[in-house]
Amino acid sequence: MSATADTTTAGAGNGRTATGTAGSGAFAGYRVDPGIFDEMFRDDGTPRGACRSLGEALARIPAEELVRVQDSVHRRFIHEGITFTVLGKKEVSEHIIPIDCVPRILTAAEWEQIEEGIKQRLRAVNLFLRDIYHEGRSLRDGVVPPDLVLGCPQYRVEMRGVRVPHDVYVAVGGTDVVRTGEGFAVLEDNMRVPSGVSYMLACRAATKRALPNLYREHRVREVSAYPERLYSTLVSLSSRAGTPRVAVLSPGRYNSAYYEHAFLAGEMGVDLVEGRDLVVHNANVYARMASGLRRVDVIYRRIDDDFTDPVTFRRDSMLGAPGLFHAYRAGNVVMANAPGTGVADDKAVYAFIPDIIRYFLGEEPILANVDTHLCRSPDGLAFTLDNLQDLVVKEVGGSGGYGMLVGPQSTAAEREAYASRLRADPANFISQPVLPLSRAACFVDGSLQPRHVDARPFTLQGSGEQHVVPGGLCRVALQEGNLVVNSSQGGGCKDLWVLRS
Amino acid sequence: MLARVAADFYWMGRYLERVEHTARLLRYQLGGLVDTPADELALGWRVVYRALDQAVPDAPADADEAEVFLIADAYTLAGSLVEDDTNPDSMISCWQRARENARQLRPQLPLRVWTCLNQGYLWLRDCEFPTAWRVAPAQLVSEAIDRLRLLEGVVHVTMPRDDAWRFLELGRFVERFQHQNTLLRNWDRIGCAPGREPRLSWADLLRVCGAYELYCRRHTMTVRRAEVLDFMIRDPEAPRSLRFAVHRIENLLLGIDPLGNRHPLAPPHRMALRLAALVEADVGGPEPARDGATKGERPEEALFDLLARDGGTLHDLVMSAYVDYPVAEGLPT
Repeated sequence: MSATADTTTAGAGNGRTATGTAGSGAFAGYRVDPGIFDEMFRDDGTPRGACRSLGEALARIPAEELVRVQDSVHRRFIHEGITFTVLGKKEVSEHIIPIDCVPRILTAAEWEQIEEGIKQRLRAVNLFLRDIYHEGRSLRDGVVPPDLVLGCPQYRVEMRGVRVPHDVYVAVGGTDVVRTGEGFAVLEDNMRVPSGVSYMLACRAATKRALPNLYREHRVREVSAYPERLYSTLVSLSSRAGTPRVAVLSPGRYNSAYYEHAFLAGEMGVDLVEGRDLVVHNANVYARMASGLRRVDVIYRRIDDDFTDPVTFRRDSMLGAPGLFHAYRAGNVVMANAPGTGVADDKAVYAFIPDIIRYFLGEEPILANVDTHLCRSPDGLAFTLDNLQDLVVKEVGGSGGYGMLVGPQSTAAEREAYASRLRADPANFISQPVLPLSRAACFVDGSLQPRHVDARPFTLQGSGEQHVVPGGLCRVALQEGNLVVNSSQGGGCKDLWVLRS
Repeated sequence: MLARVAADFYWMGRYLERVEHTARLLRYQLGGLVDTPADELALGWRVVYRALDQAVPDAPADADEAEVFLIADAYTLAGSLVEDDTNPDSMISCWQRARENARQLRPQLPLRVWTCLNQGYLWLRDCEFPTAWRVAPAQLVSEAIDRLRLLEGVVHVTMPRDDAWRFLELGRFVERFQHQNTLLRNWDRIGCAPGREPRLSWADLLRVCGAYELYCRRHTMTVRRAEVLDFMIRDPEAPRSLRFAVHRIENLLLGIDPLGNRHPLAPPHRMALRLAALVEADVGGPEPARDGATKGERPEEALFDLLARDGGTLHDLVMSAYVDYPVAEGLPT
C-alpha cells in the first residue's frame, strides 16, 4: 500500500471538485471565521496565494486516500517508536503524538519576520542572563523588578559570577509563536530545555513521504540539517583543543522526551549519558566507558537544573552527577543550556522581554508580546479576578498546559477555586487575554477542518552566529474549538513548510 | 562505548537468545501434541521446564514432579512460557526487556534493527493467544522464531562490527552456552535417564538444536547418545554446540579487549580460554577425568556441572571487567 497521496488525479475516486475553496468541494465542511485568522483561506473563502496549490491538491485527493496516508504515518510512528512516555501510578505507557498530514505554509516574507524577531529576542535574553548573574545593571535601572528576578525559583545563586563560555547562556531556544488577526506574537519562551525538535523532523519526514510532489513543487526550506547544526553549536562552545567530546545528558528512559534525547544523540553521533554514567574527578567530568573513564567536554543537558547535581542542587536527585556543577564552575566542562536560564522562561519575566530588548539592544521588538497582567501587582490581581471568565490564567513556572485556567471554557466552580489560589499566592500567576489563535487546515475525522495552531521554531546560538531552523514544530489543538495545543493536553502536530523566496 | 550501553547490548543479546531458545523447545513440545503418548509428553515438559530453569507449575501437594506434568494442561504450560508477563522468563517478558534495552540504545542501533525488534514485540504482545493455541500452537512459536531470524539477519547486514555488535553477540553466545549446557544436561539426566521409560529421542534433541542434518552428515543416521553428546559439545561448526559458542565468545572478547592492550589477559578472556579447554578435552571413557565425578557416573555429568559453574562466572567477570569496574581502575593514566 502506497503512503503517497498527491499523485492522485483530479476528481478521481469520489467525484470531488478540485477547487480548493473553503465551503465547497473537499472543503465543504470548512468554515472560515472572519474573527480568526485562517492560514489557508482569506475571509471570502478563496485560498491565500501560497496555499492555492496545496488547497487544489487536497481537493483532488480522495478522502479515503488521505485516511490511508494518515494511517500509514501513524503506524510508522508506532513501529519506529516515535513516542513519548507517560508515567502512570502503576505502569509506564508509551504514546505517539497524533500527526496531521496537511502541512501549514509560511511564506518567505512571513518567515523573515519570525526569524529576525526570534534572533533579536535570544540575543537580548543572553545579555539579560549575563547581566543578572554579574553586574545586575538592568535590575538597578529598573528594567525588571529585582525581586521578580532574584525571587524567581529558577534564579540560581550558584551561577553568580560564573564565567559562561562566550556568554552563551541559552544555546538552544524554542519560542512559541502564534498568529492572530494582528500578526505574529510570542506566546512563550522555552529557554531551559526546549523539546519537540525530533517531532519536527519526524513530521517533515512523514509529510515528505506522503506528499512528495507537493513538497517538491513548493520549494520548501530544509530542516534536516538541525542535528549537524546543533553539534557544531555545542562544539563551538568548548575551548578544548582538538575535537571535544560531546554527550547528551538525559534523565533516562522514563522521561517523556526520552525518544528525542536518543534521537538527537544518535543523529549527532555522541553518547547519550545518564547521571550514573558520569564520574567527576578532580573537577573533570568523565564518562564511564566499557574501556575505562573518558573525559567529557560538552554536555547538552536535557535535564532540569534541580536534578543536574545532587551536591549543588537537589540533594535527593538520583538523576544527575555529583560534582558536575563544580566541574562546570571550574570551566572544565560546558553545559548547554547553562544552569539558571529558567529565569528567562518565567511567565512573569516574559512580560518584560520587550523592555529587555530595548534596554540591551536599543531596538524595538520585532515580535510582539501578548498582553500580560502580573498578578503580583494589586492592579493586575484585581483586573484578573474581575475578568476571570475572559482570561487565560497561568502559573509563572508552569509548562505543558498544566495548571492553567482558560476562562471562557471553565465553570463557575472552577473559576472560584482558581480565584482562591490566586488570592493565596498572587505572585505565582499571570493572566492574558484569550487569543484567537490562527487556524490551519487539518484532516480530522475524514474531512478537512480548521484547527487552532501555533509554531515553535528552534534557535541555536554558538560562539558565532545564530541559526534559526527554517521551520519548527507546528502544534495543533485537534479538538474543535480547543485553544490548548500542548501534546500533554491531547494536541497533535503537523509539518511547517517555510517557502523559499 | 559507555559501560551502561555495553551492558544494554549484552543483555539485549541475552534476552533475544533466551526467547529463541524457549521458542525452539516449545516448537518441539507443541509439535508433538498430536501424536506423542501422554507420558512421553509429560517427560518432555519436565525437561523443557528444567532446561529453562522454570519453577514447576502448581500441583497437588502429594504429586511428584513427573505427575505434575502428566496432569497439567499443555496450553497452560505453554502460555506461562509464552504470554505470561508475570513470568520474568516468558517469551513476552524477555522480548519486552530486549526492547527496553534497545530503546536505550537508539543512538547506536540502526533504525531497521529497532523497527524489526519493535514490530516483533508488538506482534507477540497483540497476538490472539486463545485462538493461536486452539488453531495452530506450534505455528505461533515458529513465527516467533522466524521473526527472530529476520532480526538476526537485519543485525547481520546493518550493524558495523564494532563493540556494540561484539557485546550484543557476546550476550547472545554466553546465553546460548549456558542454555545449551543446561539442555544437554537435563536431556541426558532426566529425558534419557538409564533404565527408565519412556525416554526422549536423541534425534529430537538434535532437531531442537537445528543440528540433525549436520549430525547425519558427520555420523550417518544412526543416532547414539555418545555421538550426539560429543557432537553437541565439541563440533566446531554446529552453531548450537558448546564449542562453537565458546569460540565465538573467545573471539568476541579478543575484539573487545585486544591482547596487545592488556597484560595479563583480562579475566573474562582467561575464563573463556578455560571453558574452551574444558569443552575441547575428550573426557569420554569409563573413568571420569575431571574433579567432582565419582566412579560409575557418566563423565559428561561432571563436565556439565563444571561448565554451568564456569559459565556463570564468565558472566560475572564480563560485568565486573567492562561495566561495574571500580572508578579508580578506570581513570586514564
